Amino acid sequence: MSDGRYGLAISPQNTIFVSLCFEGPDVYSTAGGLGTRVTELTETLAELGYTTHLIFVGDPTKPAIEERSGGKLILKRWSQWISKYYLSGVYDGEEAKIYDYSESVPPHIYAEIVEPAVSQGKLVVIMGEDWHTAEVMSRISDLLHWHNLRHRVLMVWNINSLMSLHRINWGRLNYSSTILTVSRYMKHRLWSWGVNPLVVPNGIPRRFLEPVEESQYQQLRQIAQQGNPDRLVLFKIGRFDPDKRWMMAVEAVARLKYSGQPVTMIMRGGIEPHGGEVLNHARHLGLVVRDVGASRPSPEDCFMLLAQSGEADIYNLRFFVPEEFVRACYRGADAVLANSGHEPFGLVGLEVMAACGVAFTGSTGEDYAVSFENAIALETDDPDEIVGYLLYFQQHRDELEKIRNAGYQTARAFIWEEAIENLIGKLGYLARKQSLVLD
Amino acid sequence: MARNLVIYTVVHQPRRIKLPAQPIPQGASIEDITRCLFDEAMNERYFRKVATQCYYPATESFLGLVRQGLKLSIGFSLSFLRQAEAWDPALLDRFKALVAEPNVELVGVEPYHSFLFLYDQPLFIQRMRWMRTEMGHIFGRKPQITDTTEMCMSPVLYDALDQAGFTGGLLDGRPWVLGWREATHLYHYSGKLKLLPRHLALSDDVGYRFSNRSWNGWPLLAETYAHWLREAWGDFVLIGWDYETFGEHHRYDSGIFEFLRRLPDELSRRGAQTRTPGEIIAMHRDESFYLPLPGWPSTWAGSGGMEFFLGNSAQQAIFQLMLQTHGLAKLTENPELLDLALWLGQSDNLHLIQWFGRGGAEAEVSAYFTPREWWDLGPTGIIHEQQQVYLNFLRAMEPFLPGRTPAPSKQLLSKKRELQLAEPGIETRY
Repeated sequence: MSDGRYGLAISPQNTIFVSLCFEGPDVYSTAGGLGTRVTELTETLAELGYTTHLIFVGDPTKPAIEERSGGKLILKRWSQWISKYYLSGVYDGEEAKIYDYSESVPPHIYAEIVEPAVSQGKLVVIMGEDWHTAEVMSRISDLLHWHNLRHRVLMVWNINSLMSLHRINWGRLNYSSTILTVSRYMKHRLWSWGVNPLVVPNGIPRRFLEPVEESQYQQLRQIAQQGNPDRLVLFKIGRFDPDKRWMMAVEAVARLKYSGQPVTMIMRGGIEPHGGEVLNHARHLGLVVRDVGASRPSPEDCFMLLAQSGEADIYNLRFFVPEEFVRACYRGADAVLANSGHEPFGLVGLEVMAACGVAFTGSTGEDYAVSFENAIALETDDPDEIVGYLLYFQQHRDELEKIRNAGYQTARAFIWEEAIENLIGKLGYLARKQSLVLD
Repeated sequence: MARNLVIYTVVHQPRRIKLPAQPIPQGASIEDITRCLFDEAMNERYFRKVATQCYYPATESFLGLVRQGLKLSIGFSLSFLRQAEAWDPALLDRFKALVAEPNVELVGVEPYHSFLFLYDQPLFIQRMRWMRTEMGHIFGRKPQITDTTEMCMSPVLYDALDQAGFTGGLLDGRPWVLGWREATHLYHYSGKLKLLPRHLALSDDVGYRFSNRSWNGWPLLAETYAHWLREAWGDFVLIGWDYETFGEHHRYDSGIFEFLRRLPDELSRRGAQTRTPGEIIAMHRDESFYLPLPGWPSTWAGSGGMEFFLGNSAQQAIFQLMLQTHGLAKLTENPELLDLALWLGQSDNLHLIQWFGRGGAEAEVSAYFTPREWWDLGPTGIIHEQQQVYLNFLRAMEPFLPGRTPAPSKQLLSKKRELQLAEPGIETRY
């Protein structure tokens, strides 16, 4: 891979990537979309041939260092000596981990990665993710500067969330790193902090473009429609975060039901307390809620579980849902409600599009969404907006198909390989500004 | 006029705490508690710096001089010796060679350079005896004379050292301690322990003022200094310095090493001889004078009283926390935790914040010893984070108290983890 537009060829032969993130591929290390992002990004970089180090707060019971992708991806589970005391997950013992990570990662990067790489004439790209890594980025920059190696390293820090921005020394971070973000919306939000990030959109794995088997999504529709081919099928997945607008979704379901339009919503939330409020509200609205429980079912098991659950307005899935089943829901639903009030990027919507589904997105960070062209961008928190669009599409099926097809084409442009191409372009620009010359 | 000169130096490096305070994980092991409390990387950096500037060149200088007849007394904190053993065994070997010289007398120092004698006399006695044994293991000699910490002395401390079996103790020759008496005689208080006062002015001329160009005695030449020593009235003059005086407190280009090299010849030319403290005690044992010690401890730091270490509110707060950590550590009945509490009781943790709310020469001295890395925190940040270290340790010790519920077994933890981590699934992508 190279980037001729900027006159600098960044390639696996001359560049090493280092990803710094609290989250990572371990179950222990996954608390949100961040873990997915860095896992997929680093895996794709490695598949493209780049030697890639991912330094994350990993499972304390797993090996401290692990190689994958033929040795190109090196996972480094950091702060395990702390994590063994905090078994609830990556953010348990957060302050202790931040301290240790900030203190101990810089010397490692200098001694074990940058110095050897530079001696081989290679460029090192260090990418930090979100606020937990802000301090360590600045310290790395200081340390490399001390050793007269800073000029051989590109440092970029990506922000995926608006959490804890008040804890960041923006002036220092902006000086030591180039700030990136994942959407124009986030770019504009960051202006209020006095920085102007470059935009590098998020990505999805190439496998998400694989067509969903018709037999699967048709089976899903048959189950969800409960014998009524006119029954709408909705799907919603995500953490029980008020910002995901779960209340808006269940309100919309209730309004559809009481307007005479039969509807089923299949939902999968998290373990957050807000879930209780959502479900109580649904029941209060007179919706029939069925909790569907299981232990690590297969996709076939999921369909069977749904079928055996009986009639309901809402099926609340209380188990780990396999990816294959999720994608069947994306494709089989009349709409997937990714109606967040705030999304830095909005990964659900893009994944829905990749599955030829119809995404009802929010209208913040979802740069990929062009309303009524490849998705439906909701502009309010009014449940009637969802209701109105759904009823409209009941009468205009052909438009729905056009949206499905256009969405799929859009998603193809957002696979990780394309996102990395975008990133390489930005890095080329930064290298030029830094007067970097590769051997 | 005094004909006998005692040269005493003490070698010490603190085990500095880690600032900002590192959070100690709940239920942490003692090993992990330790790594959160102390900044060993910083300690190693400073150790190596001082070794290059002072310890190596000064030791070679002293080795040469003692082999030419100079007599030297030298004390080591175990805090320093542990660092030397870990980071520079070759340096420790040079110090061993120095102490092995017949003209060198080993002086005992409170092992962790703490103020344990202010709040736990029985343990202090026990520790001083242990220190003597450790010195025997390391150097093959057991000290009979002691400096304790920062040359502190008080009636209680005197009695403790007497009980511990030492034959002599050093104290600073402060006017408010000696009164009308001269610092050039051998004294005793209530027991058999002999007291050797340090000559304040003559010691500080080298230890403190040597590089001060605004001092009317600058530049201090060896012949001038030898003359001053010889002119002192009394039986002997004891001059005491930090070992780091040579090369670290006063840099090489100040001429300190040249001064040291020339001093023995200048002394000899004037009929003065160097002695060890043991020799002085042997010479004047039967004619030692009674010295009524003040109730308040004296020290060679600052103005000679404990106000240098306990005079401002920040120091007082830390000292209270030292007492709390010491007390709780004893309640745990865990020797390892007690050891950590003793380390946290180093006097250095009080010395290096003497500047808080103060100015002037003493504050400058204190600030000199404050790690430069800490100043990024700001003055109040240093105080806050230092306190936090002790508070973190207090909390970390609680699970070790007898009768407290033990931590869940590994199996139970695994089960808990499995339950907690099983449910979050693919929805966490979003």
